[in-house]
Amino acid sequence: MNIRKNVTAYFYVYKIRIQKSLAYHYDVYGNILMQCIIMFAAAFFWRALYAGETMVQGVEAEQMYIYTVVSTAMSVFFMNDVEQRVMRSVEKGTIAVEMLKPINLYGIFFFEDLGKLTALFCQNLIPILLIGSLFIAVPKPASGLAFLLFLVSLVMAYLIHWLLAACFSMWAFVTINMSPLLQVKKHLIRLLSGSIIPLWFFPDWLASVLNCLPFVYIYQLPLDIYIGKEEMSNILPRLGIQAIWVVVLFVLFSVLQKNALKKVMIQGG
Amino acid sequence: MLAGIKHYTSVTFEYLKLSILTVFEYPANMIGWLISNPLQFIVGFATIQFVVKEFGDIAGWNYGQLAFLYGLAIISHALSMIFFVQGWFMGYAVLEGDFDRYMLRPMNVLYQFCFTQFNLIGITDLIPGICVFVYGCVQVDFVFNLRNVLALLAILVGATFIRGGVYIAIGSSSFWTKSIVDFGGYTQEFFDKTTMYPLSMYPESVQFLLTYIIPIGWVSFYPAADLMGMSGDVFMPGAAPLVSMAAGALVFAVAAVIFYAGLKRYESAGN
Repeated sequence: MNIRKNVTAYFYVYKIRIQKSLAYHYDVYGNILMQCIIMFAAAFFWRALYAGETMVQGVEAEQMYIYTVVSTAMSVFFMNDVEQRVMRSVEKGTIAVEMLKPINLYGIFFFEDLGKLTALFCQNLIPILLIGSLFIAVPKPASGLAFLLFLVSLVMAYLIHWLLAACFSMWAFVTINMSPLLQVKKHLIRLLSGSIIPLWFFPDWLASVLNCLPFVYIYQLPLDIYIGKEEMSNILPRLGIQAIWVVVLFVLFSVLQKNALKKVMIQGG
Repeated sequence: MLAGIKHYTSVTFEYLKLSILTVFEYPANMIGWLISNPLQFIVGFATIQFVVKEFGDIAGWNYGQLAFLYGLAIISHALSMIFFVQGWFMGYAVLEGDFDRYMLRPMNVLYQFCFTQFNLIGITDLIPGICVFVYGCVQVDFVFNLRNVLALLAILVGATFIRGGVYIAIGSSSFWTKSIVDFGGYTQEFFDKTTMYPLSMYPESVQFLLTYIIPIGWVSFYPAADLMGMSGDVFMPGAAPLVSMAAGALVFAVAAVIFYAGLKRYESAGN
């Protein structure tokens, strides 16, 4: 009974968020424009580098173009609002009202982000894939199986990224301005997760450090699987580690949530 | 005329003082950006190094030359952040009726919009810029003689005005659209991609566009090439700093025309 009520509530949050995204479509063109700038610049960057080379580190230019298109499309999955959302609610004090609701606070945020993602899927992801296919490279996966494993890995990547963001958002309960902190996190994820420059170019010591952090399981692993950079026998253990990260971050998130909600500092009122 | 300049200078100094006081009022904010901004550029540049090491060069530019270009681009980015970042947020000023205040005062409206607030947080971008640039200078054996220093200053002034002009021109679109669009992200992304990497890696149509139509090539690419003696067939050796200055003046003049045309359509916040 209770579960059913919760499901209905979350579904409602999800639906409202989709409708909200569809109503404000100014952002959409902006996002497509921005991602196209990033995608084309990266494609020309690789084209200039690969001039006169056929294969570097076991990867051909064509694979690098696919990497670029898929990485840009994937970024749609990582445009969560949870941190901004918590920051704004704490600033305005509306967090108090939201905490009174009989469903989990972060459950609401999660379903809001899922709603946003659903809207972005049509508004952003499909246009980017079309533009990328027309002008850069048709993003063919290495094989059918690779594509399936990519999807599995992408779902876990989404969870890792969302849980990291949710953990980060709890800073908002103790500090007021965390914009610089969010910038640091955004740039570190962008640069150290393989979203632009794949990890196989990094010096060995740095690559092994990064392999112990969750960031590489956001972009690098799904992309490796997609372009067929990794042997099948290597993929499964790495997927296992990715799953472990999901669990670890979920536990961390649950613990933080329990403590943070006790310490909420309400402004004004 | 002279009295006018004196008046504007003294007002500018008063506002500069106020900006400095604001920074000291919220030191934590500044410290946050002091970590975040340098980190972004330095880590970004380090990752490029990994790739360049593997391939040797990008479009004929080696790592030292890239550092020189990248550093120069960040320094002018920082300067444009200090003086012209308001252009990014013009939508808010239009919709919230900020121009009412500016138009009532007996001073130039564009001057007030740009210089009644200095974004001193931009200084946090100067630090990584200077670090990477100095590293590049050492790598390419750049000589700091009087001629080169003057050329550098001319380039930075020109580059800052090119950037500022583009920010204001884009921001002025808010007078027509009457909507709050945060142009910062797109503008920075676009400038980053076109000023921190050799323009020669892009297709010729893009190069043409960024050389002659929207002269972003003169922010860092051509001047850096010129200072390192790599001038191609676009300009005469040694001429790039002057062209940068001229391009800056031209872009800013066009931006001012667009700004004032937009201001005519300004209808306040209506409350």
